[in-house]
Amino acid sequence: MTTLVSATSPAASHATTSAPRVVNVLRLHLTNKFTTLGLPLLILSFIFGVNYVIWLLIYTSTPGGDREAVQGTQYSGSIAYVFIYMAIIAVQVVLRTFPFALGFSVTRRDFALGTALLFGVLSLIYSAILTAMSYLENATDGWGLGGHMFSTVWYGTGSLGERFSQEFFGLLFFFFVGAAISTVYLRWRAIGQTVLWGAIVLIGVAAMALITLTNSWASVGQWFVDAGPYGVAAWSLVITAAAALFGFLILRRATPVA
Amino acid sequence: MSVVEISNLTKRFGSVLAVDDVTLSFEPDVIHGLLGRNGAGKTTLMQLLTGQDFATSGTVSVFGATPVENAHVMKHICFIKESQKYPEDFRVKHVFKNAPLFFENWDAAFADKLIGEFRLPLGRRIKKLSRGQLSALGVIVGLASRAPLTFFDEPYLGLDAVARQLFYDRLLEDFAEHPRTVILSTHLIDEVQNLLEHVIVINEGRILVDSDAEELRGSATTVAGTARAVDAFTAGRTVLSRQGLGSLAQATVTRLSAEDRSAAAAAGLDIAPVSLQQLVVSLSGDADTAAAAASSATTVSRKGQER
Repeated sequence: MTTLVSATSPAASHATTSAPRVVNVLRLHLTNKFTTLGLPLLILSFIFGVNYVIWLLIYTSTPGGDREAVQGTQYSGSIAYVFIYMAIIAVQVVLRTFPFALGFSVTRRDFALGTALLFGVLSLIYSAILTAMSYLENATDGWGLGGHMFSTVWYGTGSLGERFSQEFFGLLFFFFVGAAISTVYLRWRAIGQTVLWGAIVLIGVAAMALITLTNSWASVGQWFVDAGPYGVAAWSLVITAAAALFGFLILRRATPVA
Repeated sequence: MSVVEISNLTKRFGSVLAVDDVTLSFEPDVIHGLLGRNGAGKTTLMQLLTGQDFATSGTVSVFGATPVENAHVMKHICFIKESQKYPEDFRVKHVFKNAPLFFENWDAAFADKLIGEFRLPLGRRIKKLSRGQLSALGVIVGLASRAPLTFFDEPYLGLDAVARQLFYDRLLEDFAEHPRTVILSTHLIDEVQNLLEHVIVINEGRILVDSDAEELRGSATTVAGTARAVDAFTAGRTVLSRQGLGSLAQATVTRLSAEDRSAAAAAGLDIAPVSLQQLVVSLSGDADTAAAAASSATTVSRKGQER
């Protein structure tokens, strides 16, 4: 008991607040950087390579001076993969690392905060990469072919702050929504998922019914136009914050018991 | 002062009472055995003590506070469980890379020594480990973490006899140098009976026995001889179990006094101490005789623990 008395004395316990443990949870998440950084970047490179070949095909098969066809790639959505993949990482982190962390005497609170920290760090890294690529794409006039992948009509244009914050908010959205969905599975298993998706469908249908019955589709569309791509990204923070809170509250009562 | 104080603890899963109104305490720097059948409530009890699960009612106090979401308590606990899950992409070395982050007494040199002794392949994916290797991984983490309160829940499923002996030896050696509170749940009772200083037997969520190990072993005796002599001797006594083979019989009875022993010897009966395993089997098998034996064992052991 002597070791413990010294360890839990006020001075000692003050020195070991949960803050370092939150950082340790982040380090736990980054144990295998191939999963969180290596693989997504590899796939991103692959998609870029495929896109490049397609641009090249279009470029060489259209008559010189008429590069309008390649300009169509500004409606590309191939970057969406990065965002969807972040949701997958979030699911893996919650489903697999949570039971492990609990087995290593980590509290749910520290796990949640450390995981939120991971999402923040990864979003920063990926936003920096995507923003840099969008500038590179502009500078090289679409990689010499007029192609678009990192700067399209949806994102990657505007000022540095606009580009970066749009990527950053978008990534955070997918991380936290992915994590929130998997906390439901963690706590209530398959039944929880069924109820959750049922609820999402019901809410979606109800919203559509409301908009249709009140003839409001035009104003909804107008809202998106008025908000613009950056406004929409900024507004996603509301849902992101709600998902983070929702996920945290569910995780607080989750158990590693199957 | 007890390391763990449990009072009126109940955990209900739907209609099943996994832990049923348990009141119990664990003393510091003692190796405890938590014994019982499958589904007796051992794992659930340990999960309640380590904040992994939530009690339906009652209280748990570990190092004087609740373990639930309490980082100050949790950092002194290491819980090695048979069903521990690992991140999908983890290799063995990743576990040892992370252990020092969460166990402040982690001894990396000790862990390295154990990794060699248990022949654990560091570069292998956790998913590819055999059942025995997975158990060895848990055992090494549990020993090298040197947590003041260490739980081993069925730590050696799939471990061969050599590896199990290694575990017992290293646990005892390290325990001697770094005393700590150990709670070990197991089916292999005979193998660990010399390891255990205190025994708790749980059955259907209730504590049957909470006793000093020596005390418990003295709480029952096996008498063997002719069936007639055995039956004559056991008449009027609490018989925990009886086996007959032709004209011979053997019965396990509760505590015998010195006079009882000489009477049995005079009747031509052989008297042998009962093994812990036999005792637990007979206790867990039949609730009525168990209650009688349990009271005979616990009343004695409780005397020293009056508060």
